Amino acid sequence: MDEFNDSEIARLLRLKRYEQPPPGYFENFLHEFHRRQRDELLRQPLWRICLERAHTFMLQLNVRSLTSYPAAVTAVLVCGAVISLKIYQQPETPRVALQSPPAISVPASAEGEWNLASPVATQILRTQPVRSFHESAQTHRAAPPRYVLDSVPVSYEPTFRF
Amino acid sequence: MNSSVALPARRISDLLSSGLEARAKSKRYAMDQPRTDPDQELVKRTQAGDAGAFDELVIKYTPRLYGLVYNMTSNHEDTNDLLQDIFAKAYKAIRGFRGKSSFYTWIHSIAVNMSLNFLKKRGRRFQLSLDDVDASIQNDKEFLELTATSSPVREADLSELQRRLNEAMMKLSDEHRAVVTMFHIQGMPHAEISKILRVSEGTVRSRLFYANRQLQNYLDEFRKNPVS
Repeated sequence: MDEFNDSEIARLLRLKRYEQPPPGYFENFLHEFHRRQRDELLRQPLWRICLERAHTFMLQLNVRSLTSYPAAVTAVLVCGAVISLKIYQQPETPRVALQSPPAISVPASAEGEWNLASPVATQILRTQPVRSFHESAQTHRAAPPRYVLDSVPVSYEPTFRF
Repeated sequence: MNSSVALPARRISDLLSSGLEARAKSKRYAMDQPRTDPDQELVKRTQAGDAGAFDELVIKYTPRLYGLVYNMTSNHEDTNDLLQDIFAKAYKAIRGFRGKSSFYTWIHSIAVNMSLNFLKKRGRRFQLSLDDVDASIQNDKEFLELTATSSPVREADLSELQRRLNEAMMKLSDEHRAVVTMFHIQGMPHAEISKILRVSEGTVRSRLFYANRQLQNYLDEFRKNPVS
């Protein structure tokens, strides 16, 4: 015989099946596996152990829906947090009153005429054009309505009364 | 007359073709049918958090995986450590196991990949730490045939034969040794090996052929000089 043929090599290699670990090795393997798992577990930080325990507990309770949609739960929580923050951070709206059109009561007959009732001749000058609120809204659509605090007109006060 | 002769011939051909079609259909059906994994129940229980189910899987696969890793490393201590790591990794990863392959294939893939990674790290610096050969080998039919027909095997004692075989195995590349271990020692079919290694069956066969040639060369010295 010159050399081992394929079948002889196959048969020789099959004999390697008889190489067996020491007696009792397979019986002790599971205990050794558990021991190593426990040692590894104790080396982990506490938060990780708690997280794994919680996860296992949830799985045992068959609350799969909660564990399978963590993203959805997180999204809902984040949305709730954002909305509540928006609500609490919104500034308290001051009591404001919409400015009514300037209440300048000028008699129609007095416009542009000299008043001789007073000892000094004076003319009532209109500093602001008398326009209705609706006209103003039509001509300045883009401008927002103006608000004045505590219903005190500021800019429309007729100051040039002589 | 012609038609009477032609008709049975056509019938025969029809029957043959229908028979072939039926065989092909049954083959397709068999291929389409999902093969049930015998470990499916244990895997599901483990995924649901039942550690006891995983213990059963460990008990079931330890001897087989031990043989795989041991014959790749030729070192008992390395095999023990690796096997622990393999099962620890499998336990961590089992929740992600979707059952696309059988658990058998999956755990063997983990074992082979981890062993190959370990062997790359270990390099050439190692010592053989061989297990004892079981005494029942003396009753093995193949062993008796080998000792009767092969003079080197007859002349060498058992431990010498074991050492030579392991040395020859360790001269193979890691990938070739993996294929030889799975095919010759563990008796896996080519298709299963190709699934585990994620290579084609052709690659498995070519690796096996090449490894056999190399083993022949390495064992040639043993043939010439059985007692060193």
